[in-house]
Amino acid sequence: MPRRRVVVTGLGLVTPVGNSVKESWDNIVAGKSGIAPIEHFDVSGFNTRFGGSVKDFDVSPYMNPKDARKMDLFIQYGIAAGAQAIEDAGIECNEANAHRIGVAIGSGIGGLPMIEHNHNALNKGGARRISPFFVPGSIINMISGNLAIQHGFQGPNIAITTACTTGTHNIGYGARTIAYGDADVMICGGAEMATTPLGLGGFSAARALSTRNDDPQAASRPWDRDRDGFVLSDGAGVLVLEDYEHAKARGATIYAEVAGFGMSDDAYHMTAPPEDGRGAAAAMRNAILDAGIDASRIDYINAHGTSTPAGDLAESRAVEQVMGEAAKSVAVSSTKSMIGHLLGAAGAVEAVFSILAIRDQVAPPTINLDNPQEGCVLNYVPQSAQEKRIEVALSNSFGFGGTNGSLVFTRV
Amino acid sequence: MQSPLVITGMGMISPLGCGVKAGWERLLAGRSGLSSITRFDTGDLPIKVAGSVPDLADDPEAGLDPDRVVDAKERRKMELFSLYAMAAAEEALAQADWFPTSDADRLATATIVGSGIGGFPTITQAQTTLTTRGHRRLSPFTVPAFLANLAAGNVSIRHGFRGPLGCPVTACAAGIQAIGDGMRLIRSGEAEVALVGGAEACIDPLSLASFHAMKALSTEQDDPTRASRPFDQARNGFVMGEGAGLLVIETLAHAEARGATPLAVLSGYGTSADAHHITAGPEDGSGAAAAIRAALKMAGLSPGAIDHINAHATSTPVGDRAEIAALRNAFGEALAGIPISATKSATGHLLGAAGGVESLFSALSVMHDRLPPTLNLENVDDDLQDLDIVSGSAREHATRHVLCNGFGFGGVNAALIVSKL
Repeated sequence: MPRRRVVVTGLGLVTPVGNSVKESWDNIVAGKSGIAPIEHFDVSGFNTRFGGSVKDFDVSPYMNPKDARKMDLFIQYGIAAGAQAIEDAGIECNEANAHRIGVAIGSGIGGLPMIEHNHNALNKGGARRISPFFVPGSIINMISGNLAIQHGFQGPNIAITTACTTGTHNIGYGARTIAYGDADVMICGGAEMATTPLGLGGFSAARALSTRNDDPQAASRPWDRDRDGFVLSDGAGVLVLEDYEHAKARGATIYAEVAGFGMSDDAYHMTAPPEDGRGAAAAMRNAILDAGIDASRIDYINAHGTSTPAGDLAESRAVEQVMGEAAKSVAVSSTKSMIGHLLGAAGAVEAVFSILAIRDQVAPPTINLDNPQEGCVLNYVPQSAQEKRIEVALSNSFGFGGTNGSLVFTRV
Repeated sequence: MQSPLVITGMGMISPLGCGVKAGWERLLAGRSGLSSITRFDTGDLPIKVAGSVPDLADDPEAGLDPDRVVDAKERRKMELFSLYAMAAAEEALAQADWFPTSDADRLATATIVGSGIGGFPTITQAQTTLTTRGHRRLSPFTVPAFLANLAAGNVSIRHGFRGPLGCPVTACAAGIQAIGDGMRLIRSGEAEVALVGGAEACIDPLSLASFHAMKALSTEQDDPTRASRPFDQARNGFVMGEGAGLLVIETLAHAEARGATPLAVLSGYGTSADAHHITAGPEDGSGAAAAIRAALKMAGLSPGAIDHINAHATSTPVGDRAEIAALRNAFGEALAGIPISATKSATGHLLGAAGGVESLFSALSVMHDRLPPTLNLENVDDDLQDLDIVSGSAREHATRHVLCNGFGFGGVNAALIVSKL
């Protein structure tokens, strides 16, 4: 099948380090952490008492606050990032093009705050206490649904949920949808807000979270020998993808090309990767193959790097396997060191950072990397950003269930 | 010319029982899978009826024996929807005889299992644990049990499928979209074989109460088998069902090269958004019609070539009417000559698994030239009098092409066309 070229023409972010692309990216390049004690519910008694919350979020520029109250926060974050990206791209939806514009925005978990709230309401007051807005306010595909309704996008509408690979898979799916001609523009990404008693308690019970309560900003430390788990975070990332000819014809600003997308599965264990990182390596290889480039051309990798003991080492080994000799010169960083792990939003937020790394020719840092663990031998861009020629960037995401995804972005 | 995409394996767990054969025979015989809920106390709940997957005690012939699927220790780590997916996968893969052992074949196998809700009972039980006994009592398997992609994850781990893994979570369109995604993965060369479909198991006090709060569920209490009545004037909401429907798909060339038996062709797929309202479609059905047109276009068929429609028809007053509007929009005059079945009358609404199960029913219709009946259709809506809705009993009908629809909250539409070989 002939394939069309797909480019990125709009970006939107809501993250623990800023509620816009500019604010978030400035802080990421400066190496600032957005991790802090959790204050929106009582965390006393929890093993982990901090996270990467979104701060000072104001929904009113993006939608009527009265309507927003009927939607869980992950939907609000997704709609906000989506609106930013659509405005950035300058996409105008009209009767002629509405069916050629689609949305693919997922979430790893969905409306946990509303589920908890309504469950408690049911137990205390019975079925009549459940809000009629609970289901549409909490199910995962309602970012895609609401953005389509707000903007009139009648093209393909989907929400893929693959735990922490969600954002990456939705972008890859969106790119394919354009490449094969089912749409000209796709609004793609992920959103999450699972920093709730059950979210924090559940990941804590799975022994996945850092417990560095005395120093939250030092808690996310990918590849460092003292890392002890990931930091649970919230936010959203959305990209506008577009057929290259379509973007050129309307004079859009092109950030980068989505040159490759690859997926794979570990088929190994529900929550742990195989030690040799072979599943991660397969996803990277598939994306590189799809891009039709040599692995040695990759200048920057935005790693999944969650700061868990097993995951970071496996990913580092996978990079060595895939890049061979060229692994010595590639910059590999984990922006999760600053924003924590946004689960279903992570892949989308990190895709935005990878694209901005190409735009600004700078590799963002891995902060808190004081002592790389034995066996971690790559250039992880420790502590501060590195100015660098970046023509090709790769972004990785891996999720519970063993699901892997990689995206390759190139300069146009 | 591309080699057609074919189904080579089918697996089904539904309120009608376990296994494709039992489900299909009971569907044709007009049996209902709906019953009073016994899994938990429905005392104060306004909803008492659901389509539960029967266990061996209820149904010695086709009840689910979980021990045959996953041992008791492993079951504690997974939710019912994962268990159903694993059971359906065993059946589908056995029929397709696809148990790859080489790295190359495993890397070329995709696993795309959609779910509308994921492990909802785990979430509500964990929330009860959290509020009554504190977070220290939460199981470490809480998160991996409830994540919606773990049906696909657990299946891929069991069978060593290392190709693309995915899980569309587009409410009640998830199952059809999972099939569409798998078709695309094969067409783009990212996979050679895909296990696709949907799994759902969220019959739980909170999910029932919350769909009830939207006035979406039937409140029938006395006669469970009469609760789901698509297109009938007395319909008053859907009945929540559970289960899984999975298909093994590959190109005909791939199937023939390895000696697998093709069962039916997946000839068309289309998807679209209403861009209208979070829970209701536009009155003219234009959004769903766009998905149907896209599927017809991919299949290279005119509307008149469709021999049968397995409707989404959930038995809600608004939804059934909107679907017919969409069908009239897409098919025009031709619609009156196409028999329509609403199999949710027998299974209830399996949400994210509905598309998986109903695409199997569609495939079985083209394989056997039999159309399943729509139960409980006593007084059809006034404005549907001109249509041919299959009711009463199953019908023999030469069937080459079947359209299967799936629509979800958020205005998401998906349509699949299954054709005879």
